[in-house]
Amino acid sequence: MAGIFDFVPAIVLLPFVSFLVALAVGNRLPKGGAFAGIVATAGSFLLSVATFFTVSGGQTYNQTIYTWANGLDGAVTLTFGLLIDPLSAMMLVIVTLIATLVHVFSLGYMNDEGETGLPRYYAGLGLFTASMLGFVVADNLLMAFMFFELVGLCSYLLIGFWFREPGPPSAAKKAFLVTRFGDYFFLVGVVAVFATFGTAAFAGSESFPHLAEQALHGEHSVNTFGFEPRTWFTIVGLLVLGGVVGKSAQFPLHTWLPDAMEGPTPVSALIHAATMVAAGVYLVARMYGFYALSPTSLSIIALIGGFTALFAATMGVVKREIKQVLAYSTISQYGYMMLGLGGGGYIAATFHLMTHAFFKALLFLGAGSVIIAMHHNENMWEMGGLKDKMPVTYYTFLSGSLALAGIVPFAGFWSKDEVLYETLVHGLGGSPILLVAYAMGLLAVFFTGFYTFRMVLLTFHGEPRSQTARDPHGVHWNVKGPLVVLGILAATAGLVNMTPVAELTGLEIEFLHQWLGHGIEGLTSHHYVELLESQAGYHAAEIGPIVPGLVSLALALAGAGLAYFLYNDAEPTEHTDKLGGAKTVLYNNYYQDEYQVWLANSLVQPFSRGADKFDQGVVDGVVNGVSSVSLLSGNRVRRIQSGVVSNYAVLLTLGLTALILGFGLLGGWF
Amino acid sequence: MSALLALQSSPLPDWAAVAPALILALTGLLLLAIDSINPTSSNSPVLAGISTAGSLFAFAVAGWFLIEGTGQAATGGEISLYGDALVVDGMSLFFTLIFTIVAAMVSIASMDYLSKQRYQGEFYALVLFAATGMVLMSMSNSLATAFVSLELASLPSYALVGFLKDNKGSIEAALKYFLIGALSSAVFAFGISLVYAATGSLLFPDVARALSGGTGMTGVLGMGMLMILGGFAFKTASVPFHFWAPEAYEGAPAPVSAFLSSASKAAGFAVAFRVFIEAFPITQLPAGVDWVLAFQILAVVTMTLGNFAAATQENVKRMLAYSSIGHAGYALIGLAALSANGPNANVLGASMAHLLVYGFMNTGAFLFIALVEHWGVGRTFEDYNGLGAKAPMASVAMSVFMFSLAGLPPFGGFFSKYVLFYSAIEAGFWWLAAVGAINSALSLFYYSRVVKALWIEDDTSSLELGSKPVGLYTAILFAAVGTLLLLPAFRPVIETAQTVAAALF
Repeated sequence: MAGIFDFVPAIVLLPFVSFLVALAVGNRLPKGGAFAGIVATAGSFLLSVATFFTVSGGQTYNQTIYTWANGLDGAVTLTFGLLIDPLSAMMLVIVTLIATLVHVFSLGYMNDEGETGLPRYYAGLGLFTASMLGFVVADNLLMAFMFFELVGLCSYLLIGFWFREPGPPSAAKKAFLVTRFGDYFFLVGVVAVFATFGTAAFAGSESFPHLAEQALHGEHSVNTFGFEPRTWFTIVGLLVLGGVVGKSAQFPLHTWLPDAMEGPTPVSALIHAATMVAAGVYLVARMYGFYALSPTSLSIIALIGGFTALFAATMGVVKREIKQVLAYSTISQYGYMMLGLGGGGYIAATFHLMTHAFFKALLFLGAGSVIIAMHHNENMWEMGGLKDKMPVTYYTFLSGSLALAGIVPFAGFWSKDEVLYETLVHGLGGSPILLVAYAMGLLAVFFTGFYTFRMVLLTFHGEPRSQTARDPHGVHWNVKGPLVVLGILAATAGLVNMTPVAELTGLEIEFLHQWLGHGIEGLTSHHYVELLESQAGYHAAEIGPIVPGLVSLALALAGAGLAYFLYNDAEPTEHTDKLGGAKTVLYNNYYQDEYQVWLANSLVQPFSRGADKFDQGVVDGVVNGVSSVSLLSGNRVRRIQSGVVSNYAVLLTLGLTALILGFGLLGGWF
Repeated sequence: MSALLALQSSPLPDWAAVAPALILALTGLLLLAIDSINPTSSNSPVLAGISTAGSLFAFAVAGWFLIEGTGQAATGGEISLYGDALVVDGMSLFFTLIFTIVAAMVSIASMDYLSKQRYQGEFYALVLFAATGMVLMSMSNSLATAFVSLELASLPSYALVGFLKDNKGSIEAALKYFLIGALSSAVFAFGISLVYAATGSLLFPDVARALSGGTGMTGVLGMGMLMILGGFAFKTASVPFHFWAPEAYEGAPAPVSAFLSSASKAAGFAVAFRVFIEAFPITQLPAGVDWVLAFQILAVVTMTLGNFAAATQENVKRMLAYSSIGHAGYALIGLAALSANGPNANVLGASMAHLLVYGFMNTGAFLFIALVEHWGVGRTFEDYNGLGAKAPMASVAMSVFMFSLAGLPPFGGFFSKYVLFYSAIEAGFWWLAAVGAINSALSLFYYSRVVKALWIEDDTSSLELGSKPVGLYTAILFAAVGTLLLLPAFRPVIETAQTVAAALF
């Protein structure tokens, strides 16, 4: 029976093939291998859609396809497998759609701009997409980790695409190292999961979330290394969370993301919307059944998320470059997703993951379009008045901005609102710590509205403030097409889950709730709600969604309004000076980079130096000692080999005599 | 031809079992005849062709015998000839394969190497006579035939080392080789006489029988045994009889070095295996005479000294000479890891298989030197810089030889060394394997220096390589392909070797 699930590996493999094609023969293909990438990702997209509809018909798939290390006698078995449930099916569609659009957009951004090294670029995009898709369909934590690392590698390769300039290589290194720091904890977490449960499968009766649940009920005993089971699960969960914090750019490992803007803009779109950054949040959603067992983990996730949302939003307020604003908005929005997950809103966070993917891809591609028009000048203070020159870009960008700011009825409003609502009801339902996170998230709404519209107004409104803005470079269909598709999605994607409207009208229109409510047993939202209630003690307070929704909408409008008031001039002035000392702090990103550099210099470096001393002195000393001893004795041998044949005869005879004497004495011959 | 036709109707007469030796000897005589009719002939393709054809014919016959089971348990066991002076069995046929294939490769390669020399006919005749001697060494069943065949192999070798009569190095090397050889032969002959004194026989089975009856002259026997061991140590270039090797290999024409270090060494092992296992069986040794211990000492000292000395060489040919001493140390494990009830056939078979693989990779490596000498490139590592760009095919082959000699996968040398060390561990001599492994790690250092020079270092000289000699290239590529194919084909090789080795015990 060849069902659609038999073709799921092809979703991952097609972009991988395009990677190989671009790498091998990209030079000889038209457009440097772009078409191979477009065809491959579009093919993956079609297969993903087919998979999506099959899953919506109630089928799921959880299958090991390759065992690469077979554990004997109770040792762990390491496998690759596929897990297709509503969550991964939805994610597949998002990733493949955005990857396809990014490929198309790249034709305009890279090819038409005459960039060199295009085969390398498209090879990177292909591998990036393939890695992310492999991560999405992974059925166990180890496989997820491996693809997670591949995603990190690809981001390194693509952020550093323009490696001849000074900025990109250093940004790429920073992204690689900072996320690697988080992944280190993730790896320890993976090992801990294996050591505890003997398996790392996500789904099924032998999966680690299920075993953990049974262990808490006392139905199954696992090795918890002397801790209380719940404490130990919290520790393991937090270790894995290290990787999430790094990849999803959460405080305090968010510092790599703004620098990553050095990469080509379509890559930024891919990183922020669908691949690298999304991977972290997706991982938490994937193993939500495990986190739901530990109220401590959930609170930490919620606090990190809420804090990051607010913290990043404030930094976005003062930035001058359009992509920098977007970078901080990404950090902030992923903070919301973490807040949703930690606040017990699994569906809400997944919803926000989806809508954010659309509108953030849109905003980045829109920014890319602006950057093409501005001849790669990203400073918003030199833009202005682009509204009339590039209407398609303007209206789609506006759609994305409204979604980002959370203005009804654009996509971001519904999802962000639900995140905040879920946090609020669980906070009031007996988990007061969530209220702190909620407050931070709510406050961030105001800043989001402000920086979003500041960006829109500075870029598109007013009078042109530079020569290039007066006469921008035109863009082609390959830029406008993706923008239109995403613009429509950014406006409408939220309609699939209008909780307040459902509440108000009593209609059954919360499609995402229904979608995530079915699927593999133990991975449904219903199961998670049960777990949250029974294990984490999350109870929902009885509050309607209308009032909180209005509050957050009001805040967003207030932020937007303030921006309108300050910057909607023909010649807007910089108001940042009014912030006084805060401005410097914000400009310097709260000195996050500085303190991390200080940590690296004053703590890590001495330690590394010590390790280096040990390595050079002790380890290398022994090795060098051995080799110098061998070279020395080799030299001795050379000296014995004098070239004088009578010496040889003497040595030969002496050697034989010694042998005979030795054996004679030993054997008692004499 | 008539002999072959006769085969199909009736079984061959027993004497036909020495056919490989006869073919080699007759080919040698044929070359001598040609040489005496036209002593100044420099038609190298014909001479080399005859020599190669004779060697390959002998190879084919030996291979055919081995497959058909001549002299093996399947067809009635070993064939004894001439009053038990010679014996043809699986082991002698296996070693004959090594000698003949190396002789064939050396003959093809010499076609270009000697193209400007006089008296070429003599050269090929000497190679074939030496090969005949080696085949006889592997067949000898008495200490007398062992001695005579060893001399038959050695005397042409001395002449071959000194074949470049205008070259001081070649002459000097030949003289040193001869002097040390004479000394070693004297020791060997003295050892034989002592063993005869103690046991009253020269035939291996009779010696063994005499030992099982007990002897009153343990000291005489032990001293004789160690002296015989010395004779073989000379042939295999093992410590302390190794002094001739670096000098002879360096001074000799490179194809001759290849021949000596691969075939001649294997011949020394062939006769050593037979003498010590057949004539002095471990289970029948009187107390106080423990040749296994002697071989253990020799193995450890030889491999360590060979590798350590190779590490400090600047001259590639000399480095290979010491590496060949090191490999003699590995092959000695075949005699050093024996015990009364151990898996002796596995150990010995592994050593034989290693010698076969070594025959390909080491011959190939020396022939690469021959090629480089043919071009007139210098002899040190620096002189090899950048050769990879100028002669990529040969350099790839050389890299294959180097990695295979070091024992890295995916080359034949990996499995042969692995199985050798593994069988030593199986036999309980893990420390021998450990010393071998440490030495192998060290050897990687100097082998990789060659590869580094070939591929990584920048070319400094502006030397133009001459033509690409067909014969040398053929031989080198043949050896390289053999080295590669011996990885997938290692299973039949090791199984054959261990089966034929089992027949000895």
